[in-house]
Amino acid sequence: MSGFKLGGMTIGSVFKKPETLLYPFEQKQAPAGLRGHVIVDLSMCVFCGICQKRCPADAIAVDKAAGTWAIDDFACVQCACCVKECPKNCLLMEPSPSAVGTSKAPRVFVVGSMR
Amino acid sequence: MGKATVIPFGPQHPVLPEPLHLDLVVQDEKVIEAIPQIGFVHRGLEKLVETRDYNQFLYVCERICGICAAGHSIGYAETVERLMGVEIPKRAEYLRVIWHELSRVHSHLLWLGLAADAFGFESMFMHAWRLRERVLDLFEKTTGGRVILSVVKVGGVHRDIDANQMSEIIHVLDGIMADYRKIVDTLLTDYSVKNRTVGVGTLSHEEAFALSMVGPFARASNVNNDVRCLGNGAYGDLSDFQPIMDAQGDCYARVKVRCLEVLQSIEIIKELAAKIPAGEISVNVKGAPAEGAEVCNVLEQPRGECYYYARGNGTKNLERMRIRTPTSQNIAGMVAALKGCDLADVNMVVLTIDPCISCTER
Amino acid sequence: MAFQTEFTVIPLSELKACAQARKAEGSRYVQTLAVNTEAGVDIVYSFMLGDRMSNYKLVAVKESDVVPSITDEFLAAFIWENEIHDLFGITFEGISIDFGGKFYNVAVDKPMTVISPAQLAAREKAAKLAAAKAAKEKAGAPAASVDAELEAKLAGMDPEKAAKVRAAMEAKAKKEAARAAEQKGGE
Repeated sequence: MSGFKLGGMTIGSVFKKPETLLYPFEQKQAPAGLRGHVIVDLSMCVFCGICQKRCPADAIAVDKAAGTWAIDDFACVQCACCVKECPKNCLLMEPSPSAVGTSKAPRVFVVGSMR
Repeated sequence: MGKATVIPFGPQHPVLPEPLHLDLVVQDEKVIEAIPQIGFVHRGLEKLVETRDYNQFLYVCERICGICAAGHSIGYAETVERLMGVEIPKRAEYLRVIWHELSRVHSHLLWLGLAADAFGFESMFMHAWRLRERVLDLFEKTTGGRVILSVVKVGGVHRDIDANQMSEIIHVLDGIMADYRKIVDTLLTDYSVKNRTVGVGTLSHEEAFALSMVGPFARASNVNNDVRCLGNGAYGDLSDFQPIMDAQGDCYARVKVRCLEVLQSIEIIKELAAKIPAGEISVNVKGAPAEGAEVCNVLEQPRGECYYYARGNGTKNLERMRIRTPTSQNIAGMVAALKGCDLADVNMVVLTIDPCISCTER
Repeated sequence: MAFQTEFTVIPLSELKACAQARKAEGSRYVQTLAVNTEAGVDIVYSFMLGDRMSNYKLVAVKESDVVPSITDEFLAAFIWENEIHDLFGITFEGISIDFGGKFYNVAVDKPMTVISPAQLAAREKAAKLAAAKAAKEKAGAPAASVDAELEAKLAGMDPEKAAKVRAAMEAKAKKEAARAAEQKGGE
């Protein structure tokens, strides 16, 4: 008998709005504050290197002399530790996931050129 | 009596989500002995504490295992706070427990799906994971991560849950509860499920106690070692907390205990959401743990009691961080439960202890 | 009920009796862990009775020591005794399920006793800081304390940076001396 209860639930779901989305035609709205990938606003960055020091995965490389800020997306664990530690608040986590990489190279931001 | 044969089980096996190897000594379809072997996913995370400071290690700790992520981060943070004598704000304690109980709901629903799949109840698997997805969506909205929350820090939590989100949590949990009750009624009264689980892998109260089992596995044998009863953190503010127990000690009792714990967790979240005090959510933690200071701590994770030990050495890095996870404590119990069961029931027995091998090996 | 913990140091010879006593009083076995220290390996056994967690500590167990297994009292300890044997190189006698060093497949022998360069550097830094602090306290005089303070700060820095700072200090001192000489010459 009990099998019919769950059967009712299963059949009932035929007439309900589906629980799943027809990905990739429909995409889920990412909620605000989702930890997707890190971006940096280099116009505010002072290259103090605190993000590099605090990163538990050693994914960030800051080069003051060259004026570059690089993050290795393959090493990054999306903990948002750097975002919380940044004294200038120039780091930000975008809700969208990091773009698909074609090579294992880090993402480099250079002073003066916006990406 | 036939002659004894050894049948290897795992590390790759359809019912096992994680690598556990068992050498089953079988005689006429009966398992007469089981020899467990782990060591396939040992990553040496405890060694990492030497090169990561105590704030960074929180993120390492969280990544020991996906399902227990919330529990590990909370347990680690509590341990370091004890070591450094930090008092965290009341609101942070409540928020931690709310997230931890939500993670218990999602962990048990995940397990229910896997168990249903193991006894061939595939539509149940779909329904359980459908409900679990709603909990993950709640995590996504309140913490910014679906599985790895990264919301706890040493000294409190990073994010607050506002009143709107809190009422949304309650609303979603009410929706889950309505569907979940139907699923559980079906599961617990279904004769084919009973055929598969009643009287299988029975462990008596005495055996369970002697084998030092923890978590729902022990509670199904009427051994109460639910450390939520100790009232650490916001658990102490619950008006009435009675762990769910069962005296049968077989697979059915273990299924039942886990099923009912989900409902209990939802009740806990509702009570704490109503009671949560306003105020700060974190305090600043400065300095380093003193040299030679040591402390231990326990936390009831979805799979059972987890033990944490930390020793400081005067620097920002801890001298030693040790995590004794619930599954590792249950392996001896699992070996005892396997003794004498049918070969076809091995997967049921293994699944009802809800093994998490990543946690065990760290 | 409130969670209470206690740490007690016991000698190696009393371990067996301690485990038996814990079993007799109805304690629950919680865990065994090891900590690598300079003097040897500390092994901590934890038992729980009601709300009290009792930790019994064997201090500075040497690699040559043989620790009796407690698996005949508490079977659940087998996993930790095998682990400690593989990761710390401590020998246990009479483990009920003994993997004989094949519990984990480790690339390095006794990995938890290896002291990494990073850890060594951190230890040296801490020792230097402590030494500088002691020197500062000893010196006492205000004139010396400026140098001592600087030395203490330098000891805390990484060597490259410290060398740079030292070079800069020397250059500054030279400049000042040169200026003083110039002024003397001018007079």
